[in-house]
Amino acid sequence: MKSKKMSAFTSFLFVLPYLIMFTLFLVVPLIYGVYISFHDWNLLSPIHPFVGGENYARIFTSGTSENRIFLNGLTNTLQFVVYSVPLLVIIGLALAMLVNSLPMKIRGFFRTAYFIPYAVSVSIIAVLWLWMLDTNSGLVNQALEGLGLSAIPWLTKLPYAWISLVIATVWWTIGFNMIIFINALNEVSEEMYEAANIDGASSWQKFIHITLPSIRPIMIFVIITSTIASFNVYGQPYLMTRGGPGESTEVLLMGIVQQAFELRQMGAASAMAMLMSLIMISISVGQFLLTRGKKRKGEEHA
Amino acid sequence: MRNKKKNILLIVLASILAVAFLIPLLWMLSTSFKSDFEAIGGSTFLPQEFTLANYTSTLFNDSVPVFRWLFNSLFVGIAGVSIVLTIDAMAAYGLARLDVPFKKVLFPLFVSTLMIPWVITFLPLYQQFSNLGLLNTYAPLILPYSANAFGVFLLYQFFRSFPKELEEAARMDGANKWQIFVRVVLPSARPILATLAIFTFMSIYNDFLWPLVTTSTPDMRTVTTGIAIMQQGSFVSSYGKLMALTTLATLPILVVFLIGQKSFIKGITQSGIK
Repeated sequence: MKSKKMSAFTSFLFVLPYLIMFTLFLVVPLIYGVYISFHDWNLLSPIHPFVGGENYARIFTSGTSENRIFLNGLTNTLQFVVYSVPLLVIIGLALAMLVNSLPMKIRGFFRTAYFIPYAVSVSIIAVLWLWMLDTNSGLVNQALEGLGLSAIPWLTKLPYAWISLVIATVWWTIGFNMIIFINALNEVSEEMYEAANIDGASSWQKFIHITLPSIRPIMIFVIITSTIASFNVYGQPYLMTRGGPGESTEVLLMGIVQQAFELRQMGAASAMAMLMSLIMISISVGQFLLTRGKKRKGEEHA
Repeated sequence: MRNKKKNILLIVLASILAVAFLIPLLWMLSTSFKSDFEAIGGSTFLPQEFTLANYTSTLFNDSVPVFRWLFNSLFVGIAGVSIVLTIDAMAAYGLARLDVPFKKVLFPLFVSTLMIPWVITFLPLYQQFSNLGLLNTYAPLILPYSANAFGVFLLYQFFRSFPKELEEAARMDGANKWQIFVRVVLPSARPILATLAIFTFMSIYNDFLWPLVTTSTPDMRTVTTGIAIMQQGSFVSSYGKLMALTTLATLPILVVFLIGQKSFIKGITQSGIK
């Protein structure tokens, strides 16, 4: 009996170091964050009076600065999500199918070529694209002018600012989704394609009726992870457009950072972060249920 | 015959896309060898007059301590990876194979936190490090990453399928749990540990907002944050120097990435199995 207890104890020691880190840097901040969001928490003041739900109430009260920062940020972040996620998913899948249709010998090269930008950090991505998209001397506008077209203010006018941010983001991260899709495509059974060939199915029919249904779970995974990643966008607008023109590309995370470190209102900023997390979780769960619901329906038809 | 034509078309398409993907990086490399005059003109792709001046002036410029940034990034990356590998491997092995009390609660608890958005802990973590007086030190750049449950989740699956016979044989020889873990289990886990290592390293090296707010002096910046701060300064006036700097900052991670690509891809694949 005693030795069993002893064994449980020594086994527990294996988990202990991670459990300590998990507690200190995940559980404690989770609780602490809720706590801060219920206080008037000025970064410079040592006293943080309890204010109940006021930080949350202010975010929902129109006319307050918190309301304006949060809503503007949320609207812009949602725009970025809506513009970028479909491209990140569709181009990711298209690149994966392209790579998979190439002769085996050269697949590795192209896979690496499309994946390489992922290894470059966001500030360097921003430097490169700022320069490529520079209105006067940028490579892109030089090319446009070379073709006899007029220069485009890529970073200072809408809708070009969003287009630039989306292009840079797709270029930077698409390789990640491509890799996931390549693997999913390799898992689809060859036999199904062969059977379809015998039936004389076209490439499009095979794609719709075999490929897409087979990779559905991975598709859901990619849609959800891309949505989360796009929701967390910060570096690209912070460095490339600085939230401009005006505040039109100032995303939610920029608003939260501004509230916390420029206005030094940690309480209000924490409340915003809580709401942002709740929205992200709801969207992920919603996407999951929606895509799963569709599958159920499909099965009934079959 | 028709197939061959189609193949050629696909290769051409793939090549055009590859050029589009690589051009910004090649352009960066080529401009770093151009004189300022040539860099702004941007008339030809390759430098007409090859110069190393951008590199030599960047390396000895005190206002952009790029080697210090590289050191910081590599140091916090390697330290973070070492901690994550150690504690995640131990925890995953314990949960998967040993009689850890409450393990049926602990493992789902750990994994469920993978769904928690990162932003929820961002500000309170800042406040925690601020309370401890540890802002602008290496601690916030290393420690918080070790709470991530991804590694525990990844390694748990591997240890679950580890053959029991090997453990049994070692136990017969009188080895205790720790000895079995270190001598038998860990060596066989090398590939999956490599995967976790490169995953963790990339995410620490490329992290931006967190190191941006927790560091404040030039000597504590990482590559990613240092370049960002510098980009907003006066250094931008010389594209040649700017590109020499970004080239220097990109090379180490590119080397790590190309060497570890296979492990990294395997990790992505496994994370997708969820």
